[in-house]
Amino acid sequence: MSGTVGKSGIVFNIQPYSLHDGPGIRTIVFLKGCPLRCIWCSNPESQNTYPEIGFDREKCIAGKGCDFCKGVCDIGSFSAAGANAELKGSCGGFREVCPAGAIQVYGREMTAEEIVSRAEEESAFYSHGKGGITLSGGEPFMQGDFALEILREAKRRRLNTAAETCGCCDTEILRQAAGLLDYIMFDIKLLDDERHIRYTGGSNRQILENLEMLFSEFPGLHKHIRTPVIPTVNDSGDDIGAINRFLSGRENCSYELLPYHRFGTGKYKLLGREYADIPERLDDELFRKLKAFEI
Amino acid sequence: MPQNKEYSPQEIRIQQGGGYGNKRAGRILESFQGSRPVIDIERGKYFTESFKQTEGQPLVLRWAKALYSYAENASVYVDDGQLIAGRAGREGRYGILYPELDGDFLDEAIKRLPERESSPFDITPEDADYIINEISPYWKGKTFHEALAAAIPEETRKYTYNNDSELSSRFIVNETASFRSSIQWVHDYEKPLHIGFNGIKKEAEERLAALDEFSPVDNTEKRPFLESVIITADAIILWANRHAQLAQEKAESETNEQRKAELLEIARICRKVPAEPAESFYEAVQSQWFIQLFSRIEQKTGTIISNGRMDQYLYPYYKADKEKGLIDEDGAEELLECVWVSMAQYIDLYLSKAGGAFNEGYAHWEAVTIGGQTPDGRDAVNELTYIFLRSKREFPLNYPDLAARIHTRSPERYLYEVAETIKDGSGFPKLINDDEVVPLLLAKGAQFEEAYDYSVSGCAECRMPNRDTYTSPCAYINFAAALEMTVYNGKMLKYGDEVIGLQTGEAEDFESFDQFLDAYLRQQKNFMKHAFIQQHEIIRLRTQHFASPLGSSLHKLCMEQQKDIHSPKIEGGIDLGYFEFIGYGTVIDSLAAIKKVVFEDKRITLAQLKEAMEHNFEGYEPIRALVQNAPSYGNNDSYADEIGKLLDRELLAYTKKYSQELGVHLDLRYVPFTSNVPFGKVVSATPNGRLAYVPLSDGSSASQGADKNGPTAILLSNFATKNYDYRNRAARLLNIKLSPQCVKGGEGTAKLVDFIRAWHDLKLWHIQFNIINRETLIKAQQNPDAYRSLLVRVAGYSAYFCELSKDLQDDIISRTEHDAV
Repeated sequence: MSGTVGKSGIVFNIQPYSLHDGPGIRTIVFLKGCPLRCIWCSNPESQNTYPEIGFDREKCIAGKGCDFCKGVCDIGSFSAAGANAELKGSCGGFREVCPAGAIQVYGREMTAEEIVSRAEEESAFYSHGKGGITLSGGEPFMQGDFALEILREAKRRRLNTAAETCGCCDTEILRQAAGLLDYIMFDIKLLDDERHIRYTGGSNRQILENLEMLFSEFPGLHKHIRTPVIPTVNDSGDDIGAINRFLSGRENCSYELLPYHRFGTGKYKLLGREYADIPERLDDELFRKLKAFEI
Repeated sequence: MPQNKEYSPQEIRIQQGGGYGNKRAGRILESFQGSRPVIDIERGKYFTESFKQTEGQPLVLRWAKALYSYAENASVYVDDGQLIAGRAGREGRYGILYPELDGDFLDEAIKRLPERESSPFDITPEDADYIINEISPYWKGKTFHEALAAAIPEETRKYTYNNDSELSSRFIVNETASFRSSIQWVHDYEKPLHIGFNGIKKEAEERLAALDEFSPVDNTEKRPFLESVIITADAIILWANRHAQLAQEKAESETNEQRKAELLEIARICRKVPAEPAESFYEAVQSQWFIQLFSRIEQKTGTIISNGRMDQYLYPYYKADKEKGLIDEDGAEELLECVWVSMAQYIDLYLSKAGGAFNEGYAHWEAVTIGGQTPDGRDAVNELTYIFLRSKREFPLNYPDLAARIHTRSPERYLYEVAETIKDGSGFPKLINDDEVVPLLLAKGAQFEEAYDYSVSGCAECRMPNRDTYTSPCAYINFAAALEMTVYNGKMLKYGDEVIGLQTGEAEDFESFDQFLDAYLRQQKNFMKHAFIQQHEIIRLRTQHFASPLGSSLHKLCMEQQKDIHSPKIEGGIDLGYFEFIGYGTVIDSLAAIKKVVFEDKRITLAQLKEAMEHNFEGYEPIRALVQNAPSYGNNDSYADEIGKLLDRELLAYTKKYSQELGVHLDLRYVPFTSNVPFGKVVSATPNGRLAYVPLSDGSSASQGADKNGPTAILLSNFATKNYDYRNRAARLLNIKLSPQCVKGGEGTAKLVDFIRAWHDLKLWHIQFNIINRETLIKAQQNPDAYRSLLVRVAGYSAYFCELSKDLQDDIISRTEHDAV
């Protein structure tokens, strides 16, 4: 197997015409799998590395006589949570079964070559504004060898490369990736480790060490640091100010706050999971004030 | 406002109820905006009167005499507050009559116009009586519409007309020649600005003197042509002088000193132009307006005579005046806007249901071309170019249509300002790609200096004013109907048991996708046959029914050969026509669905799909979901795009072979105007899950809502379906709807410029943008009074959303809005 390690991996979406994740017009490749479990995560389908089923009963047209899925399930008693627990990723049979899009499978295996070819089709849109391919997730470096293979292939084809990382990944993988990246977006959620563990399910120690590594070893790489501002989690001047002070004065670095949104809540339902108890809205006025901490 | 929601400047203006500030043109606009257009009968009246007196004479001479009669007798206008004189009809919004075209059902149409859903008109009872008693009876039996209907073979008629008294369109293979005298057109405006109509008259007199006095051809063909040019020159000069006189009279009774001075200046200018060469920017603008207005009197040109490269031919006047300190940017903008509001009051009246429905929202496209390249291949952008863009941002009226030419070396500032203007959200400008158009024009026989100097004409076409010679309006072909006939063995559900198309077999009997595809391609080719039969007769008949002494006097080849522009053949001319594919996305998606779902995955049979279609998918929701889920055009999916490329290629091969026989270029075009709506109304449910009688896909855009992979994918699908090895290609119209959030701020502008550059690199012909939130359109539909000024991009033009029919509004709402991720 060693010859093929990293050649292929699990991707859950490829999104062209991305405007807000790095320079120019970009194609984002979403790799499955994340070591963190942030309670506000807007891509719950990205967390497990293996393919998963989502089920939207509202879209199901069984009531109108549809039985195209009868070969794979009993739709009346079907639940995504149950199927995912049982199948543990072996859900290929559910792919393209449902004409109404009620049953969908998140994640499919693709090779690095296929992914970069798809991205390269969009290259006409990259050339005038430093656009290119962006790796995202999940945490793209969780499938580390695969991510590196994509970046190497992208570089072979002279594409501009970027990645969005939560920073919680193997340092050696990140080091190799940084050598292949033109731009990196790196999230810091909280500097207080105790609360970091509480809200994300993991410590921020490695995240901060990885960031220090990038600053010391890759001074030429632009680091765009981002913090999603989550009500009751980190929406305070203390928390955001602390990150601002941690970053201030560093070279080749920018800092952006992202407003909280709940676009992902529907997907929890499709996966048969519960969304965390987070207040519905981030206070607009508060967010405007916090924006002063951006760099 | 919802959190983080972005709005376009147009949306914000409407939300705040803002007007146009203290602009002169804004005040004029407010006087007529939203009012129902009225029919003015003078053009129809004086043409009819004159034609009654000139029967038997050469047609071109009759036309010139009719123009003279109009110039001598018609009402002239100098509007309050205006700096530019002249209109072709009464105050407010107006339409005029061309009874020579389709006046045979004028009396019937007049009764219907106030009530019809698309583009209604009002008329006074006295005028209606005059039409019914004086105009209409004269033209019965003499119109082009009747002659064409009589000329085309019985079999072709089945695809063309309903069997009713008006010979109304059947919306299958639709001729457009009976609702316009000429295809869209552009004059060489530079010539009359340089030499004036006295100069043109002098040229005609010299040519007259040089005729061979013993030649029968010179005496019977060239002499009347040249005489008609002289009469027409006299007519337009007389007409301008009557405006001068009116302005003078108004000045004498004017008490406001400033207005008095303005009126005296108008009088001075109207005495001078268009008789003499223009010598200032103001004179040039007034001269050009007189000429284009008189062109409208002359004939009904499809989508109106376009304005040509205004930023090029007006620039020398602007530059000289500016250097002399006579004008500044604001002054130039004000004069242009005075023309824009005059254009906006002229409404292109279509009598027929088809004409009205194809050109909804009172569409006309006197396109102004900006940017591009000079005849020697340098970038052509100048200071005046930016004034046109600024005017569109500050005064976003629906007329004129603004077309920005883009090429490899278009300056950054130009692209930036184009993008900023697009961001305003009212749909301007549309973009035309030099690096697609110029090579095609060269391949069709143009010289470099002509090709680089092309003007955008009408919706998306391009013209070389002294080289183009093809005036016959062309067929719009409903290929979704061909697909329906493939499913129902030559029949359409709307027309019951009548066999219209080829009998290519029962759906149940197709054993493979290739068999089905082959049957469709035979139906497609059969439609082409009938379109080209129509075109053959249109070319033959046009010269017996139409003449254009004014247009011909502005055309180098016509003057050299002393031939009217409607002559069947003008030496050295390039005859650029087209035929129109209506329903491209609908047909591709239908074929892709049949291929995938029926023959590859075998999830249902074709008989089951047909049964579901016959029931308009009611009770067959699972089948509809299945076919809607199949690969579709506009997603950069080669499965669907390869089918699209094949359809395109088959049509190109047909026209490559048979347009030669006709001696003209009839190139494949994908520009729907608003015809995808009426064409959809005859096509029942289609195999892609489209419901019966709703609009077909528009232009080369994806089926409504089928494009799920974002705007880059639509461009790539367009690229993938084009056959670049054929020169028999014309325009492809491409609509992109973006949410304002996609183009937010300076970064948004920069990325819109990147997107435009990529569109250019892909050598796509045309693109236009709607930058608007879907919710705004829905609110406008519910509360039209608050959204009267909301402009949206429709086909090749922008129109007031609230003046469109409900069907078309729904069609625009259903186009996918792309949000950035």
